[in-house]
Amino acid sequence: MRARLAPLLPWLAIWIPLGICIAQVVGFTLYTLWISFTPSTLVPEAGFVGLRNYQLVLATRNWKTAADNLVIYGLCFLAVTTALGLLLAILIDQKLRGENLLRAIFLYPMAVSFVVTGVVWGWLLNPGLGIQRLVNDMGWAGFRFDWLIDRDRAIYTIVIAGAWQASGFAMALFLAGLRSVDSDLMKAAQIDGAGPLRTYRRVILPSIWPIFIAVFVILLQFAIKTFDLAMALTGGGPGIATLLPSIVVYDFMFQRGYLGRGSAAAVMMLLYLLAVLVPYGLFRRWRAAKAASA
Amino acid sequence: MLSLNRRQLLAASAATALPLGAARADVKPKVTVISQWSAGSDGAAITALGKLFEQNGGEWIHNPVPGFTTDMMNKLRAQILSGDPPAASQLKGPEIAAWSKIAPTVNLDAQVDAAGYEKVVPPELVKLHKPFGHWIALPLQLYRLNTLWCSKKAMDKVGATELPKTWAEFNALATKMQAAGIQPVMNAGVRWDNGMIWEIALNGISPAAYRKAIMELDDAALRGPEVLAAFEQTRRFTGWMDPNVGNQPYASYIPKFLSGDIGMLMMGGWVQGVFRGAGLQYSDYIVGPAPQDNGKPAFILNADAFIFWQRKEPEFKAGQELMAKLVMSKEAQKMYSGITGSVPVRTDMDLSDATFSNQQRETSAALGKSVQSGQVVLSLAHNMAQPNQITAAMLDVLTEFVHDKTPPKEGQKRLAEAVDGVR
Repeated sequence: MRARLAPLLPWLAIWIPLGICIAQVVGFTLYTLWISFTPSTLVPEAGFVGLRNYQLVLATRNWKTAADNLVIYGLCFLAVTTALGLLLAILIDQKLRGENLLRAIFLYPMAVSFVVTGVVWGWLLNPGLGIQRLVNDMGWAGFRFDWLIDRDRAIYTIVIAGAWQASGFAMALFLAGLRSVDSDLMKAAQIDGAGPLRTYRRVILPSIWPIFIAVFVILLQFAIKTFDLAMALTGGGPGIATLLPSIVVYDFMFQRGYLGRGSAAAVMMLLYLLAVLVPYGLFRRWRAAKAASA
Repeated sequence: MLSLNRRQLLAASAATALPLGAARADVKPKVTVISQWSAGSDGAAITALGKLFEQNGGEWIHNPVPGFTTDMMNKLRAQILSGDPPAASQLKGPEIAAWSKIAPTVNLDAQVDAAGYEKVVPPELVKLHKPFGHWIALPLQLYRLNTLWCSKKAMDKVGATELPKTWAEFNALATKMQAAGIQPVMNAGVRWDNGMIWEIALNGISPAAYRKAIMELDDAALRGPEVLAAFEQTRRFTGWMDPNVGNQPYASYIPKFLSGDIGMLMMGGWVQGVFRGAGLQYSDYIVGPAPQDNGKPAFILNADAFIFWQRKEPEFKAGQELMAKLVMSKEAQKMYSGITGSVPVRTDMDLSDATFSNQQRETSAALGKSVQSGQVVLSLAHNMAQPNQITAAMLDVLTEFVHDKTPPKEGQKRLAEAVDGVR
């Protein structure tokens, strides 16, 4: 009996949890999709209202602000985090002493909860108490760093806090990539007389470009679903200046009791995610096809 | 050999317990309660209510969901959808009527009649808790929002001894404080705080216009001169607030209030409980009604209540009965308000006891006078005047207005348009 079960065991161990995961993710996605077409308010209701929920959400100022913010935040967060992560990785890659300690320090923010990050940065960026005050008290009286309360710049404070938190993670990925580069390649570049900057730019970085794609995809999906960080840091404010789509979804569903409209907003968020993931998937297929034909 | 099985053992122990009070044949009353009150004076008050319930022979299970009222509603929704509603939950304002449509509630008419409760509760509250002709929820405590708290030290610095009675006096005092290097108005960066100062301004200008514009959503009133004046007054407030406050709660700034670096705070009576928790004495502040231009007492009402959800189990039915009895009782209301700084819902209570402060006595007297003069209105920012959808749309505009540089006229237009969008 046991002997006959043995070959089945790996299948059972993989497929049962995987099946549950798929049922949860796909099942609840479909459920949300269904709710978004119903007139649901406080609780889910049957019925069909077509695209009305979508039209109502798209017409609100809150959604427009949130959609614009997502583009600004997503792009800036991606650029800053990637640049910082890469810089840290390259610096650490210089065979430093105490590398393990530094790596742990840079990775540490990732272990902190987003809410904690948001609250701490909220105080640091408070112009009357935090960084601005510190610099003012040191003698630079004219120094201004009041982005947190500036309606046009508050969204960048979320970028700062997000980048602080995630760049260590990007660093770890890049570092793994840098370490995987064949040392013969570097030696060859050195023999050919390339300086360190040129070696990185022309030899090492091009050879680890798949890592860049991985970092981009991970960071982008991270950016799109950012919620707790913004909630704790700005609460969507000043006013509604730093709303993000995830906050709008939460606001509609749970603050205003519009389950239908909240679901419609959630489905639109999923579309954003697909807009990132589908090109990536196509790109991978294209690469695989190219590799196969070569 | 004597050998007892489990059932015999249980019967034996029950028999010995019988004379000790379990003589009644009925079940032990039990309630499951969910609320947002988890910490501070709110948490202490509901814990004390639970103790009282247990002293009266019941079993009390409280599951707090910290945060805003709407966060508590998420748990309530989940429990209702799964067919396991709590025996009682906190709920307030028009949400009582809205939620009573999605799950059956307990009809409390007989108990309310027996207690003679309807006659001693302010009429504005009766409407909210008896939405479709039946009592389904019981108010527990109430607060006046339009309450002004002035730092004693800040008042001393500018030589002021009395609270301003009109907005003109308020503005003069604030200007004086600002000239003396004091931040005149204490503020938090959160939505409801932004909405609340606006509604206090409007109520102070005209409770009649407040009723028309906020409670009845009358378009002419929303576009009228009183609402514009409220936006103008709010614009003045923003010039007196700390512009550096981000998403931080007002309580973070209590030390500055105590030291006299912040002059005034406009907020409901719960501040008393929060101040006490922060170590302030009654002598550290002067408190009273916020400015009222027409000179007659007015009252922006915010009340907390319990709604009772239908359960079949006999222990829950008994528990709900006991809890309703307690919530309506003078004893429980005195204890509860004594901890939180609110005013009991019953208007027939004697507040001369040391449990209460002068603030509570003054508020309670103001309630009686405001009921007589028809100047009791319901709070928008605290979800009493409108259902959540409308409240949220209006608060969006008000919080934007507090944080941007929009002229008052533009703010008023946006508010009227937002109401048009959700009406």
